[in-house]
This record gives sequence, C-alpha cells and structure tokens, in this order.
Amino acid sequence: MPSIVALFGGVAIGLVIGVVLAHRTARTVRRPKAASNDLTGSAVTAVGNISEEFGADLALGLQSAVDHLQMGVVVCDASLKTTYRNGAADALTGTHAGVIVDAHLQQLFTETRSGVRAGRIVELQGPPKTTYSIDAMPIPGGGAVATIDDISERVRIDSMRTDFVANISHELKTPVGAIAVLAEMLADETEPTVINTLSSRVVEESHRVARTIDDLLELSRIELSRRLDDAVDLSAVVDEAVARGRMAADGHQVQVETIGASDRLWIQADRPQLSSAVGNLVENAVKYSDDGGLVQVSIRRNERWVEVIVVDEGVGIPAADLDRVFERFYRVDKARARQTGGTGLGLAIVRHVANNHGGVVSVQSQEGEGSTFTFRLPARLVVPSPEVNEPGNPTELQPAPGRLAATAGSTPPQKVSMPDG
Amino acid sequence: MSKELRSNFHEQLAEIGAGIARMSAGVTELVPRATQILLDGDLEAAEYVILGDDEYDAKAVELEERCFSVIALQAPVASDLRSLVSAIKIIADIERSADLCVNICKAARRIYSHDLDPSLRGVIQKMGDQARVLFKEATEAYINLDGPRAAALHDMDSYLDDLQRQFIQVIFESHAAGTIDLQVAVQLAVVARFFERIGDHAVNVGDRVRYIVDGWVPEHPYAESDNDPPEIVDGVVVPAAQG
Repeated sequence: MPSIVALFGGVAIGLVIGVVLAHRTARTVRRPKAASNDLTGSAVTAVGNISEEFGADLALGLQSAVDHLQMGVVVCDASLKTTYRNGAADALTGTHAGVIVDAHLQQLFTETRSGVRAGRIVELQGPPKTTYSIDAMPIPGGGAVATIDDISERVRIDSMRTDFVANISHELKTPVGAIAVLAEMLADETEPTVINTLSSRVVEESHRVARTIDDLLELSRIELSRRLDDAVDLSAVVDEAVARGRMAADGHQVQVETIGASDRLWIQADRPQLSSAVGNLVENAVKYSDDGGLVQVSIRRNERWVEVIVVDEGVGIPAADLDRVFERFYRVDKARARQTGGTGLGLAIVRHVANNHGGVVSVQSQEGEGSTFTFRLPARLVVPSPEVNEPGNPTELQPAPGRLAATAGSTPPQKVSMPDG
Repeated sequence: MSKELRSNFHEQLAEIGAGIARMSAGVTELVPRATQILLDGDLEAAEYVILGDDEYDAKAVELEERCFSVIALQAPVASDLRSLVSAIKIIADIERSADLCVNICKAARRIYSHDLDPSLRGVIQKMGDQARVLFKEATEAYINLDGPRAAALHDMDSYLDDLQRQFIQVIFESHAAGTIDLQVAVQLAVVARFFERIGDHAVNVGDRVRYIVDGWVPEHPYAESDNDPPEIVDGVVVPAAQG
C-alpha cells in the first residue's frame, strides 16, 4: 500500500515539476534559446498548454507547493547541471549529509540518461541514523527529476515490526519447548532426585510463560483503556514502587532511595496503570544495577510536566539500542535478560501508560555509567489534594473539568518565580 | 577567449573543492561506522571498510595531482592560491583520517571475541561520537568556508583529549579488575590514540579553512605544544628554560 502511494506521489510530483519547469521556461525568456529547447522539448509544449489553459496562477501555486514539499526535489538539465532545488533539498546543502546525497544524485542523474528510472537507498550513520530513498527519473526531452525522501522513521518501524514477530514467537516458544522436553524426560525417569529437578524446572518454565502472557494481556488492556478518573497520590505510588524495589534489591545489595521534597501530589490518572509504570521503572533500575549500586527516584514538577525520574548507576544502554528499548520484547543483552527473568515488556508498558495519560517517557544513558528514565505526565492532570484523609477512596473527589483547567493554569509559585529566571 | 579560460579555471577549483568535500563527508560517515564495528565486533563490515580504503588513497592522489597541475598551469594568486595550497594539506589530513578509521577496524579484528566492560564501551562510544562531531564540523566549515566554525574546533578537540585520558584510565581499571587481558588493553589504548588523532586532523582541516577564509595562520608553531617557545637572542635560538 505505501509503495502505491509513493509511486502515485512520484508521478504527481513529476507532473508538477514539469509544470513548474515549463512555467519557468515560459516566463524567463532570458534563458538562451538552445538551452530552453534542450531542457524540455516536447514536455514544454504539453505543459506550456497547461500553463496557458489554467493561467499563471496555477503554475505559481504549483511551484510554491513543490517548494514547500517535505520531500526534497531536485531537477537537472540535459547536461546534468542542477537547475532547481526545492526547500527541503536546499536545506541539505552545506551539510555533510548534503554532500553525500549530492554525490549519489549525480550518479543517479547519469544513470537516467539511458531513459530509465534509477533509485537507491542511502544510509547515513548517526546519531541519529538517517535513511534517504533517492529516486530519479528522466524528463522527456532531456534532464531528470529526483526526489529525496527521508524514510528513517519508516525503516525504524519496519524493523520494529519484523523484530516483534520474531521476538514474540521466541519468547513464547522457548519455554513451551522446554516444558515439552522436560515432560518427556520426566515420563521416562525413575530416579526421585532427577524427577525433583525436572519437575521444578517445568514449574519454573511454566511460570515464565505465564508471566509473559500476563504482561502481554496487561499491555493490551492498557492499550485499550483510556479511563483516567482516579485521583491518585503520585508520591504514594512512588513510595510503594520504591518499597517493592527495595524488596527485589535485597538479593544483590542495591540501595533504593527517594530524593527531594515529599509533599503529596495528586493527579488525575488510572491508578493501576500508574503504579505498574512507576513500578516497572524502579524494578528495571534495580535489575540492571551492579551490586552496591544506587537507585534514586524523585518527583519533579514544572509548569508543563509532572516528572518521575528514576536514576541508576547500572550497566547503561548502548547508544545504538537507546531509541528501541521501549519496543515490545526488545532486548539489549539477551543473556542478561534471561538471567534477570524479565519478560521484555516492562518498558513497553511504561510507554503505553505515558501515552494514555498524554505524557511521554524518555531515557538518557551512557554505557557503564547508568541510565536516567524520565516519566512525564502533563501538568494539567494535577488536581488539588482531597481534604479527606482517605486516599483509599478518592474517586468521589473527582474534580469537574472546569476546576481541572483552573488548577492547570494556576501554579502561583512557579509563575511568581518566572521573572527571576 | 580569456574569459573562457578563467571560467575553466574556476570550474577546476570548484571540482577540487567538491572532491574534497565528498572525501571529507565520507570520512565523517566512516568514523561512526568504525566505532560501531569496534563495539559490535562486526568482522564483515570491518573487512569492507579496510578494503574501501584504497579508494580514499586513490582519490587523494588524484585530487592532489589536480591541485599541482592547476597551480602549475594557471598560476593562481591570493585566495585561489591559498585555497589550492590548503587543499593539498587538507587532502592529506582527510586521507590520514580514513587510514585511522581503517586502523580502528583492524583493532576490532584483533580484539574480536573479547567482551568489553560497559564502562569501556561507554567511553569508546563517547570518543567515537566526539571524533565524528569534530570531523562533521570540519567538513561543514570547509564546505561553507565558515571561519568562526572552524575556529571552534580547538575547544571541541580538548574535550576529545580529555576523553582519551579518561579512556586510558578506564582501561587501567578494567585490566586491574581482571576483566580484560593485556593484549586487549594495549589494543584499546592504541584505539584511544586513533580517535584522538582523528580529532587532531579535524582541527588541522579547521585551521586550513581559517587560512583560506582570511589568511589566518597559527600565531606560532608551538601553539599545540606543551613546551615554551624558544627565544631568539641576537639571532641565536635559545631553548626555553625547563620548569
């Protein structure tokens, strides 16, 4: 489907370029006669008619449309000299990426001399990694038009999709296969100690597959649900997550602490989702910390965002994997993931919870120095703290939308301090 | 007729400039690639880079020849002469940087199958990133003949130098902790040097760009050295007192 759209787009752009070119040649008579003949030939008469029929306004409009296309458009004449670049193509000039793209363009233009389309994919090492799809086609009568399309995002999504399918089948099939083999062995076994080991392995593997399925179900529940009608005490959620993190950390001496002011902060959100998200972040930080490491959790608030920040001093994430860790089942180090017993869905859940609440989650990391995860919720979700000392039953205090907007706009302390900064 | 000749001359200059820009942009891509190859232990990609170096060498020789022939045949003056003389120097710097990337790939082959600590990998990534940024800035300063941008390279390079020291420190720590053996430690120390040298070449390119733009030359040849410059007393060079 996308390829059809692209093809159609390409054809449409070709037509538009033709019009623009014809328009230019028609209007700028300064161009030498011979060159103008070279340039467009029969296309000029064809498109010249369009220009005459529909008037200069249309041609001007089309030109400005091409100028503002997101896709880069470059036109060359029969001697392969560049005669036109639109805004997007021009933005590349003067950069090292522009030089590389231009080198490929020249080669492609040369290839189109034989009257066929030519295209190639150009990958640039990041950061950020960029992929351009460059496509050149000859214009009747000489010259060529090329489009430069930044397809980095598409490439990223494609690889995400293929990886997901491969990973999910791996995650589900491995434990199931193990269970089958173990059960077969069990059937022929008579030695009690071996039976014990084997059956405990069966239990372990079935727990693993159950956990994966649980997480998958939770993920799809979060994806579906958009119910944000609890008033949740964010600091309590963080405290709870930290307490759970401490329990998990006991095994390998990781210190978990909350830093910063601990005043109550109530936000309108989905309580289970929020506690699952923050819990996952803290649990991850603990899991990927070395012995004796430190995990710090803090809540920060400014005019736009309420942030939960989880900092660890663990192994960190390689730069190449950094933008992929929030994908389902994506794993940086396969061996370690298995040893820590994660399902590979934790960060995907965090990302979905953030999305559901109109927020974002981001990560900064340096391999060997640790990672910082920032879970952001929009400040408009903040609600005044309920006067009743009963955080267990806060739903009745759900504020009306009007009140909500008022709270979001009125954060007096920050506003007063604004002129100082 | 003379007008025709001049336009031909400027075309030649532009072609040399475009050729250098292309090489330089290529090396800007090569640096992160070599870094990634080193981190991933990607032998196949390493082989590609190593084989591809011949192309850089050939291109460098060809561009240099063109500079010589333009200087000899067209007798350029002023900024044209400056840009041609600088081009010869810049080509050498770029060609050398491509060699250094190849050396990094060769080091990747030598340390293949040895696992690196996260802290080592982190510093390698940082050095690779910084070396790339330096080369990218040098390339773009050259393309746009942007003097101020070129001048900023010195400061960026001192960060790369700091990273090299940090890298050496981490190598010592890892070796002391027994996570890498001596062979790997030595290879990595050399890699640190390669990255640092790439940065220096980028700075050289930057200096040349400043020379093209406004005839700037480093104040004295000891600018990059830790030693004090020698004094000249009565026409005799007296080395600076130590300490």
